Amino acid sequence: GIPVRTTLDNSTTVQYAALLQQLIMKARSTVRDIDPQNDLTFLRIRSKKREIMVAPDKDYLLVVVQNPCE
Amino acid sequence: AAMFTDSSAPGADVEPLWRSARSARCQARSCQTRNISTVETAAQSHTSRDASVQTEQSKDALYDFQQEVQVDYAGLLAFLQRVEDTVIKELKKNWESRAFDGFAVNWTDQNETVLCLHTLSYPAAQDQNLQVTSVSWNATGSVVACSYGRLDDGDWSTEKSYICTWNLDRRGLNPKHPDLVVDVPSSVMCLAFHPSQPSLVAGGLFSGELVVWDTSRTEDPVILRTGMTDDTHTDPVYQVNWLPDAKHRNQTRLLSASTDGKILVWREERDGRLVLAEGFALVAQQIPRSSWLKKVACGEAAVGVTSLSFSHFDPRVFMVGVEGGYSLQCCTAAVTPALHRTGSSVPLRAPAELAFSPHGGPVYSVSCSPFHRQVLGTDPGAAPRAQNLFLSCGTDGEVHLHSMLQTQPLVSLQLSKKYLFCVRWSPVRPLVFAAASGEVHLFDLARSAQKPAVSMKQAAGEHPVYCLEFNTKQTQLLAAGDATGAIKVWQLSSDFTEQRPREVTHLEQLASESMD
Repeated sequence: GIPVRTTLDNSTTVQYAALLQQLIMKARSTVRDIDPQNDLTFLRIRSKKREIMVAPDKDYLLVVVQNPCE
Repeated sequence: AAMFTDSSAPGADVEPLWRSARSARCQARSCQTRNISTVETAAQSHTSRDASVQTEQSKDALYDFQQEVQVDYAGLLAFLQRVEDTVIKELKKNWESRAFDGFAVNWTDQNETVLCLHTLSYPAAQDQNLQVTSVSWNATGSVVACSYGRLDDGDWSTEKSYICTWNLDRRGLNPKHPDLVVDVPSSVMCLAFHPSQPSLVAGGLFSGELVVWDTSRTEDPVILRTGMTDDTHTDPVYQVNWLPDAKHRNQTRLLSASTDGKILVWREERDGRLVLAEGFALVAQQIPRSSWLKKVACGEAAVGVTSLSFSHFDPRVFMVGVEGGYSLQCCTAAVTPALHRTGSSVPLRAPAELAFSPHGGPVYSVSCSPFHRQVLGTDPGAAPRAQNLFLSCGTDGEVHLHSMLQTQPLVSLQLSKKYLFCVRWSPVRPLVFAAASGEVHLFDLARSAQKPAVSMKQAAGEHPVYCLEFNTKQTQLLAAGDATGAIKVWQLSSDFTEQRPREVTHLEQLASESMD
């Protein structure tokens, strides 16, 4: 995907955009393969250091990166 | 009456068919293609034109990606309004969630123990009672090189020594037989592999020279040397580093530090010589004064440099450990000329900016933390101050953890009564460092700030460990060289190689609670 607005630095933004675009497509096709009437509404990836949340749409993707409190 | 009469019937003849068939089928025939016409011609281009193509640098490279897309702002706004509620709800849920507390995933097999993988040595050097003065891993992390020399000799020594390399990934690794042995006419005191070219290694000699070897050349591995000129160090070189050259992106320069107080930067010349590019000299008079430094010899006495470490975040800032027992923060962008007596071809500058509180004896090793710590300024308009942590150790057996913003150490650990020769931060875990004295001690500041997490006995008897290096590519390996002339490659347990979730913030907390 092409980044339109960002609060991170350029290189990180471009990296996130490219990688998450592919992941969203894969996640969406997984959901629809299991149940064709279903569709992806939200994706959350939790990792050791932070949590990545993606809200998908027909034309846009919103990506939020959060440091969870523990 | 019928009469039988004699008659003879004519015989029946069967013509043989094969002869006629054969003759019927065989026929001699010939055919020939028509003449193939050939013509000889030659072609040659006799005019040519040169044309070149060049892309123009786009004016605002920063905003390029935003201008390419024709954004439908109304649609974007509608999208954001649609998803805003969901995202905010998820963020809040995350902030309050206890669902993942204590949840950890093991992706790799957990290795519980620290064990010694290899013990490498060169018997000929051990017979001469040489000790390992320095170890270094190469850029790919598969070759370890060591330099032999003597660290306990006070006199000028003209002993020959060796550089040995072993490739640990090779099958048939023979621990007593190095892959490559280079004879060096003088003791090698320090060694450094090139950060990106796996076969180049630089070493600093006891005579003050620097030599660069190319381990892929079999006939004569020496490719660059400083030789003995007026510029070379007059004392043994204790630290050599490769520096990326700011102006020429693909070239690197060499930096050497020695107890004659000079820190010199060399560049290579075509005929295989290393020529001085710039230099710094530390003179006692120019050290920033603080209360405890009044006892130091004044005047133009040179301050002997025993170790050096560059900051990982600002390539101009480096820390220097000196024989006087204190550490100095220096900057390569310094402009004040040094009050150095002997002339040299390039004017030397005084780089010291800040002196830190001293150890009880000479500092043998400093190491800057590769993990960043940023403290935001309290005023809203102030830029964030980057604060780096570094470790220093010396003959008083103590390890000091310093922050570059204050002169007193944050944490001071009394490790042993013996000398500490080397201290290094772990490249993967921000809270782990290794220190070498008689044994190799691994400290984990997350577990205990007073005692080592693991202590590994390297050699029997009173032979200290002189040098340590972590392998940045295979992060579970640690190489340690000792006074018996052997190198042990230790494999660390998974505790020491996997970063914990909040380690960087733990490091910041540790530093800030000691400061207040």
